[in-house]
Amino acid sequence: MEFRDYYKVLGVERGAAADAIKTAYRRLARKYHPDVSKEADAEARFKEVQEAYEVLKDPQKRAAYDELGSEWTSGQQFRPPPDWGSGFESAGGAPGGRRGRSAGRGGGASEQDFSEFFSSLFGGGSPFAGAERMHAGGRDHHARIDIELEEAFRGTTRTFELRHPEVKPDGTVEMRTRTVRVSIPAGVATGQLIRVAGQGEPGAGEGAAGDLYLETHILPHRLYQLDNRDVTLTFPVAPWEAALGAAVTVPTLGGEVEMHVPAGSQSGQKLRLRGRGLPGSPPGDEYVQLKVVLPAANSPEARAVYEDMRAKLNFDPRAAQR
Amino acid sequence: MVRVTHVLEAHLIGDGDWIAASDICQLCRIDLEAMLELAALGLVASREAGPGEWQVPATALPRLRVVGRLMHDLGVNVSGAALAVELLEAQRQLESRIRHLERLAGDY
Repeated sequence: MEFRDYYKVLGVERGAAADAIKTAYRRLARKYHPDVSKEADAEARFKEVQEAYEVLKDPQKRAAYDELGSEWTSGQQFRPPPDWGSGFESAGGAPGGRRGRSAGRGGGASEQDFSEFFSSLFGGGSPFAGAERMHAGGRDHHARIDIELEEAFRGTTRTFELRHPEVKPDGTVEMRTRTVRVSIPAGVATGQLIRVAGQGEPGAGEGAAGDLYLETHILPHRLYQLDNRDVTLTFPVAPWEAALGAAVTVPTLGGEVEMHVPAGSQSGQKLRLRGRGLPGSPPGDEYVQLKVVLPAANSPEARAVYEDMRAKLNFDPRAAQR
Repeated sequence: MVRVTHVLEAHLIGDGDWIAASDICQLCRIDLEAMLELAALGLVASREAGPGEWQVPATALPRLRVVGRLMHDLGVNVSGAALAVELLEAQRQLESRIRHLERLAGDY
C-alpha cells in the first residue's frame, strides 16, 4: 500500500497546532465537500482531507502516526512496522487487536471509505463489504446504490454482503457475514428510499432488528436526461423530416416506437410520448426534443441544393429579431 | 461466484409515505431537536402521529442527508445548513435552467 502524508494533505507543518489543523480542515472541507464543490475530483479529495483530519485531530492517533517518522513521502510503498501502535490507545493496526473506532459508525468520518493505509494503522472500515458502498447508522443501516436508468425502468437486483456482530455462547463477539440479494422494484427514482425490513442491526436480546434502507441514485445516461419520472431525449432529424413531416423510429426505455414528426417542426420543439418515462402512478413521459441537423454542403450536389433553396425560398431566419 | 444465502423483498417508499423522525434522524445523522428545528424553519414538513411521535415525509430524505453531512463535515449549525441546502437547490435549478436554455440557443 502507499503511504499517505496527512500533513501534506491538509497543507500544514508537522508541528502544526490543533487550531491550525482544524482551520486547514475547515478550509479544504468547504472547498472539496461533494455537496457544494464544483471540482471534478471533489469527492476523492474530500475523502483524503477527511481521513487526514480524522488522524490529525485526535492526539492519540496523531502521536501514533507521527511515530512512523518524517522520512515517508506520499505514494511511497508502506507497511506498518510489526510493533507499530503499541502503547497508543487509538491505534489498532498492530498485533493486539483493532481498537480504533469503526469508520462506519457515528462521528464525522462515517460517511467515507478510509484508505487501506488508514485501515492498516487504525482499523475501521465499513461494517459492510461487497459490491456496494454501505454505511451503518445505528439501529438501521443505510446504503446508497447507484443504478442505471434502464435498471430503474425494469427493476433490478443487487447483491450485498452484510456483516453483523453476533454474540457467541462464550460471550465473545464474532462478525458474521451473510450474502443477500435484494430485488429493487421497477420505477425507482433518484433519492427514493427502499426499505428492506429486518436487515439492519440485530436487536439486543429479543428486540427487533433494524431495517436496511437503500437510497437510490440513478446514474447519468448517454441518451436520456432524467427529470423525476420524465426522460428527455435529444433526437436528431433531417431538415426535410422537420419541414415535411416524417415517421421516425424513436428509442424509449421500453424499446423502440414509431413516432410522427409533424410537418413544420422546428429545432428544439418537444414531442411527448405519454407514459414512456419511468414507471409509476402516474408513469413519467418521454419528451423527444427535435434537433434539426443540417447536411454538410461538401459536395457539388449538396451545394446545389442549398443554392436552390436560397434562390427559391423567401426565408429570413432572423425576421423575428427585426 | 457469489453464493446468495438470502433473497429479500424490498418495499419502495413512495411520495405519500411518512417515516418516523427518529429513523430518519439516524439515517441522516442529525438529532431530533435539529430535525424539529428544520421543520420549524420550513425545510421539511412534519406531523405528530402520536404524542411525541414525529414523522417526516420520506421524500425529505435527500435534503436531510445533505443537511446532516454539512453539519458534520463543515461544522455549520442547523440554520446555516438549512440555508445552504436551500441555496444549493436554487443554484442547481438555475444551472439546470441555464443548461436547458443553452441547449435551445445552440439549436439556432
